[in-house]
Amino acid sequence: MLILRDYIISAASSINAGGGNNGDNPTNLGVSDFSLVATTLDTNNAYKFMSGIEGMDRFGTGPVRSAYFMLSSTELQSDFDGLVGSGFISQWNYPTNSSALPSEYGSVFNIRILTSSEAPVARGASANGNDVYYNTVSGKQGLTHINQDGYSMNLIYRDPYYSGMLAQNATLAVKFAQAQALTQDTAVRNLLCTRLSNLGV
Amino acid sequence: MTEYNKMAKGSFTSTGAAKVITLPFTPDRIRLTNYTAAAAFTQHLIPEAWWDVQMGQGTGVCYYCDSSTPVLTSAVITSGGFSTFQGGLSQQFGAKQQISGITAANPAVVTTASAHGYSVGDTVVMQGLNQSSTTGMQQIAGIPFTITAVGSTTTFTIKWDTSGGNYTALSGSPTGAYVMKVLYPFLYVPQDNVVAFVTTGTTTTVATTMYHNFEIGQEIAFRIPTAWGTTQLNSLPNVVIPGSPVYGYVTSITDNWTFVCSINSTGYTAFNPNQVFANYSGEQFPQVLAVGDVNTGGLSISAGSALYPSPSFPTSTNRVSTINGPAIKGSFVNNTSQGFIIGTGNAVFQASADTSSHLVGANADVIYWEAFYDDVMLP
Repeated sequence: MLILRDYIISAASSINAGGGNNGDNPTNLGVSDFSLVATTLDTNNAYKFMSGIEGMDRFGTGPVRSAYFMLSSTELQSDFDGLVGSGFISQWNYPTNSSALPSEYGSVFNIRILTSSEAPVARGASANGNDVYYNTVSGKQGLTHINQDGYSMNLIYRDPYYSGMLAQNATLAVKFAQAQALTQDTAVRNLLCTRLSNLGV
Repeated sequence: MTEYNKMAKGSFTSTGAAKVITLPFTPDRIRLTNYTAAAAFTQHLIPEAWWDVQMGQGTGVCYYCDSSTPVLTSAVITSGGFSTFQGGLSQQFGAKQQISGITAANPAVVTTASAHGYSVGDTVVMQGLNQSSTTGMQQIAGIPFTITAVGSTTTFTIKWDTSGGNYTALSGSPTGAYVMKVLYPFLYVPQDNVVAFVTTGTTTTVATTMYHNFEIGQEIAFRIPTAWGTTQLNSLPNVVIPGSPVYGYVTSITDNWTFVCSINSTGYTAFNPNQVFANYSGEQFPQVLAVGDVNTGGLSISAGSALYPSPSFPTSTNRVSTINGPAIKGSFVNNTSQGFIIGTGNAVFQASADTSSHLVGANADVIYWEAFYDDVMLP
């Protein structure tokens, strides 16, 4: 999803968050926004990425629904924390972390949230001039990589002597040809939102 | 030390306006020769200039003719000089400019408090469109608009009907009402578009707020929220065959903002751009977008045309080739770009700017440039 970031925010349709209460457009994220996006993808017969996690007899944990993935900015993490008790389950409250990804922050309803500092943000672009975060939500059949017509992967190595007597430069690289494709536009949505919490930075 | 060096050269005929040079890299060093100025060698001309990334964006150093008895003098360019750009990594915006007013009309005309510097084809977004706390045009804040006409240095026209009763004209430079240019609005094309109006009938005419960048034959889908009326265009949910999207095809392109699609929308609910101000928070926008994996076929090849031309956008007039290789017509194309800009800045000699001198030269000047990215850059 990170590789496809600019592609998704340009080419996929969007939903403005309206479940928050900061009075902006889009608003900050409310749990109803997660529900709306998941319902939209469900109605469009999108496939979920992850199966649910059954509840276990462990303190502080709760079951997790089968889910789509959503890529979000790390700057939204405090907003997610603010939804604890309203539907957000932190990753460490999963019954088991065996299927959780390292970048997974938690889940709300049918959406499991991955966070990255490289997730897309349009600075100062909301109706009230605040930052707009693009949370890209995808079903399994929404996106793909295509390895292009027989172009094989090359591992390139040039030893240090190649560049000069001082042997300062060596090259180690991988070269391959790939294209991205939106394979099903009904299975991808950008959930746009602003932020409620002040980052204080 | 040439393993990673990158070099490029080229030439163009100046129009007197800033010139954007797209390259496969972002240079750290640029050299410019104005052949016409070198040949004429008269006052105010800049026959030669250069720039290094360490000088800072928008600057440069030049030789220019400083008097009517021409003497070639060294000078600097402190603003409007050379600058580099990288048009990827999410949306980037130009400087905020105060909006002094917007008409409640079809189409809406925006007035800025000072010269906006925009041209037809530039894409802008606006925000803070409050005439009072409960009136104004916040309904269109955040929508990207590609400017359709420039009336004066402080006015421009957008593709939107604000004549409806729910819009209140903006006047008197409301606090917080800004417009800013989207520097690289089309990272991938064709992109998701906001719908400006829909004309129903046996075929359906659709206008978008930005360049739609659709090709004839393009398969498209609609996302029309309930408040906007024409929800029958929506690709899903399909009430006849659940789960099977309903798509339309572009049958003709009227202009860069308007196209006709094959959907028979006779009897559909009218499109309603007259949205309620109070509902702007969380407002959903109507959209039309290219369907994912369905393309329209090869590029048109005719006698004398390039065998494998790059895709070019917008798709009606003023088409500009991308830096990409050939692509199936109508398919998604990466349109991110990088390179440098030669500005219209003045030569500054002994702290005094010669406002008749311009780095990019005058109209019809022939200019040669070289751009470099170096292996080793020491402080």
